[in-house]
Amino acid sequence: MGGNDPRLKRPGDASPPAATRRRRWRTGPYWLALQVVLSGSLLLLFVLPILALFTYGPFDQIFLQLRDAQVREALWFTFYASGISVLVAIVFGIPLGYVLARRKFPGRSVLESLVALPVVVPHLLVGLGLFILFIPGSLPYRWSEALGFPIYYSVGGVVLVMVFVSAPYTVLASQLSFRAVDGRVIEASRSLGAGPATAFLTVTFPLALRGIITGLLLSWARAVSEIGGLLIIASFVYPGGLYDGPTTTTISIFIYDLFNNGNLQGAAAVSSLFLLMAFAIFLSVRVLERSGWLPWRRGDLSP
Amino acid sequence: MSRWVMEGVETDLDAFHLGPVSMEIAPGSAVAVLGPSGAGKTTLLRTIAGFLPVRRGQIRRDGTEISDWLPEERDLGYVPQGLGLFPHRTVERNIGYPLELRDRPDAAARTRALLERFHLTPLARRYPSRLSGGEQQRVAIARALAAEPELIVWDEPWQALDVQARYELGLVFHELRETERVPVIVVTHDPGLAFSVADSFLILGRGQVRGQYDAATLLRAPPDPFVARFVGFENVYDRATLEASPPSPLRSWLRERAGRDGVALTCPTLPAALADAPLWEGTVRSARPGPHGLTVEVRADELLVTLRVPPPWAPPFPSLGERVRFGIAADSVHPLGPRTEGAP
Repeated sequence: MGGNDPRLKRPGDASPPAATRRRRWRTGPYWLALQVVLSGSLLLLFVLPILALFTYGPFDQIFLQLRDAQVREALWFTFYASGISVLVAIVFGIPLGYVLARRKFPGRSVLESLVALPVVVPHLLVGLGLFILFIPGSLPYRWSEALGFPIYYSVGGVVLVMVFVSAPYTVLASQLSFRAVDGRVIEASRSLGAGPATAFLTVTFPLALRGIITGLLLSWARAVSEIGGLLIIASFVYPGGLYDGPTTTTISIFIYDLFNNGNLQGAAAVSSLFLLMAFAIFLSVRVLERSGWLPWRRGDLSP
Repeated sequence: MSRWVMEGVETDLDAFHLGPVSMEIAPGSAVAVLGPSGAGKTTLLRTIAGFLPVRRGQIRRDGTEISDWLPEERDLGYVPQGLGLFPHRTVERNIGYPLELRDRPDAAARTRALLERFHLTPLARRYPSRLSGGEQQRVAIARALAAEPELIVWDEPWQALDVQARYELGLVFHELRETERVPVIVVTHDPGLAFSVADSFLILGRGQVRGQYDAATLLRAPPDPFVARFVGFENVYDRATLEASPPSPLRSWLRERAGRDGVALTCPTLPAALADAPLWEGTVRSARPGPHGLTVEVRADELLVTLRVPPPWAPPFPSLGERVRFGIAADSVHPLGPRTEGAP
């Protein structure tokens, strides 16, 4: 009783006459061209400004910038402050992501929106908000000064702004990654003898790690590129202590200052230098991911 | 070798209520949990495994109540639906996982032995995503057995397996029963495999236990149309079908012999050679050859009836539209549900 039974043949089953088929439009090439043009335009927009930065001055200028002590200090300070904010994201952001992904409690959706808030708030407002919160004379201001963690023109202020704008990426990425771990796999590990903490360390966390690392990278990128909030709270900082001694600043503000002072070539060179460093960091994380250093290699998790 | 007893166990999962469930799993025996989707089969297994709280009743292992033990304390080999293999661990490290947790000194040797026993040695370094469905099943069962569990709890072992893998898994189950003597509780949709591995069958429907039966009882008197179809009856008529209008002689004849929920028929054979059975006539709608004979579907008195031509059989097959006569022997009629009317 297969398709060969002539009684089962319906009129609609007949194949179209050859002539109709030949006249049909060949959409394949147009479809492909459309995809190339649309996606290519955006890629060009990504690439061209960066290319412009690198080619504005002589290429060797880029590395000569490293001889400038001010540039070195700004770079060091940027990595230092952003490093601390990534650490804060690891210690506090990953647990928050886990709670949002795995626990059910009233008000969870409100909390989720709160976490996403810093992503959507314009960053100048972050600085303004922190400024009003820590306005000189207020209780938070006096406490922070008394405890030796002043906000204005200080490392603490820079880290505070950076954490505010960058930690949500870690929280959101860890939340998504923890939620994507199949609950049945976790139950299997529990049943095989793992307590809740062991199951987390041996199964849940390793499986979520790839997404979490991506979140941390995004957080770091967001932290080093911050400028709006910093302009209000700490456009330069006294790394030494309380409003005294030499000053430095983050690389983004340093470049902004160069540009404002009319040193376009210097701004382009320092930007290029920093871009190269950022590229190197992204690249090394991706290489690490493939190297077998992580508990899995790319492609092992899906067939 | 443990004996597991559940007494009036009840649990809730969101709006779903399961229970009370009472059942027994004797040492070395296997229980298959049967029931339509949404009956609570997975909920029952997760309760046994300790992932859902026992609201009422008791789970006992060799007389010790374990209802409030944590999942990791229950010594179970729980294999969830989809197997729950660790995608970030190789086959070897999946199987070794429970041994690692227990710091067993013989971990390496035991893992090697399990790999060998389940023919996984050449695959030891592979990740689960690189294995076939049958190979993944073998990893799951090897891992479940690694720490010598007191009970294997397996949700849908035969899901998405091809014919060969199903056959091999059947062999694995037999070995489990014969050499390990671990009791097994298994949820399945596949009656053939359920009969091949289980000695008793727990029927669930909408969170309620409909009974625990052995195979012979289940085949002689299936409790309801679902179970009758599940165990392989091809001719199952529920009450609504039997009472549909217009009434016909065959419908009336079956209704007189039906239980509360309907009736199931062992396939009548062709040619009808029964002296004392009533003869019915039907029109052939399809004929399908197979190893157990020719299966012929006829429409008789508004009912579809599946008939069998036992081997050896030879062409010509009954052709489409041909009128054939068949008899229904009294002992091939199985009432479903409690008898309510027309005792023979």
